[in-house]
Amino acid sequence: MPIEKYNKYFEALELNQGATQSDVRNAYLYLKALYSNDSIVTSALAYEFSEEKKQSILEEIEDAYARLTEFFESRSDEPVCKEKPSFAGEDEVKEYISGIASFDGASLKQIREKLRVTLKDMAVFTKVRRQYFEDIELERFSALPAEVYLRGYIMEYARYLSLDPVKVADDYMQRYRSDIKAKDKQY
Amino acid sequence: MNDGANNKDRKCEIWAIGGGKGGTGKSFITSGIGTYLASKGGRVVLIDADLGGANLHTFLGVSKPINSLTDFFEKKASLKDIIVNCGVSDMRLISGAVGSLDSENIKYAQKLKFFKQIKTIDTDYILIDLGAGSHNNTIDAFLLADKMIIVTVPEITALENMYHFIKNVFFRKLKMTLGAHGMKDIIQDVWKSRETHGIKSLKDLIEYLRGSSIHVREILEKEMKNFKIHIILNQIRSSREIQIGMSVKSVCMKFLGFDARYAGYIEYDDCVLQCINKRQMFILTYPFSHITKAIGKLSENIIDGKQVSANKDEYAYRKI
Repeated sequence: MPIEKYNKYFEALELNQGATQSDVRNAYLYLKALYSNDSIVTSALAYEFSEEKKQSILEEIEDAYARLTEFFESRSDEPVCKEKPSFAGEDEVKEYISGIASFDGASLKQIREKLRVTLKDMAVFTKVRRQYFEDIELERFSALPAEVYLRGYIMEYARYLSLDPVKVADDYMQRYRSDIKAKDKQY
Repeated sequence: MNDGANNKDRKCEIWAIGGGKGGTGKSFITSGIGTYLASKGGRVVLIDADLGGANLHTFLGVSKPINSLTDFFEKKASLKDIIVNCGVSDMRLISGAVGSLDSENIKYAQKLKFFKQIKTIDTDYILIDLGAGSHNNTIDAFLLADKMIIVTVPEITALENMYHFIKNVFFRKLKMTLGAHGMKDIIQDVWKSRETHGIKSLKDLIEYLRGSSIHVREILEKEMKNFKIHIILNQIRSSREIQIGMSVKSVCMKFLGFDARYAGYIEYDDCVLQCINKRQMFILTYPFSHITKAIGKLSENIIDGKQVSANKDEYAYRKI
């Protein structure tokens, strides 16, 4: 699909074309909040900022987000397997899992790949956005949603791979929190 | 005037720092950026064009220079003769300390002579520190620049004045651009009858003009393409306020309809005022402070045309 067609949507979200799907999501959420709520930035222009103008900007943002989501999801067109994988006959994987003391993004990715499961399979089955799973694996902590949601997504991830959801989520959230804390301290 | 083409053979770059409201830190930031550029090996000349209340020299920690723009405007001295050193090597100052004059009293011919002589100064960077308000003389000096920089603070009054200022700047640029092509009155006429055309904002006006004729559209596309505002958000008191700069940028692009970059932000610190009162230069007194670093970073962003990136800026994690 020609990316040129999508330039104006990236532009509408004030991104350049190198933007990833999580950039798109963040920009969308940010702009949506900016133009649907009042802030000093918009109210300083209030006498010109008509409701319809705001509405049309919001529509533009919504449209851009929908098109770009479509664009990112259409890029991966591998066939989807709708069954949950089973561990039967996967002794090597079982052994690998039992050797993991604490789960992190990389080990989750390893397990998934050893079981030959694609992110898309998981997304279709669990109805959780593919991008979240990818961000979880790559530990892009700043791109991930709020803790309460994140925990749920990780548990979905773990359940799909027949791992212990509570243990995986606890391990992962611990990493997540210490990373956020470290970033706070760093500056 | 700032369309690059005129300035191609000059390697000197003019930066103008404005923003509409007083007390947002324009002079402080001008002195900071100047010092940073000088420390990177550039030759810098600062011009204090805040004629009503010129005190850039105080930020530099020097006493009021004997020579100032008074000599230029009243005694016909040339600009070159009133440049003084200001304690930082490679950085010089043209003081604005004018007693009787303010920017509104300058005659058209004097203004042209002033602008003409600015362009002949032999240096790498000229930083013009503008006063508050949206007077035409201030706006014209702003439009002279290759890099147009606005300084604002996260307060609604500052934002109001800033929007007013940049709208005036943009409007004047439009008028000058179309005037140069013999269509001086078109904007005035369209703007007067804006209600019949359904024009409610600057962006509507541009869209209307674009649609009015192919000729006008071509001119707008060619001349207004380079119109870009660099935004600096000063005196932020929490990391949440960082986003205000992004929001201002978004409003400029989506609502006012021109290109804007969020060059950077500087946090509030009482030390700044203490330094100014003691007439010490902050950036030299606290060279390793966050503020000094932020000024360096935003200067680099302005040079490269980069900006604070949304959501993943490393600074965003820092607690202020």
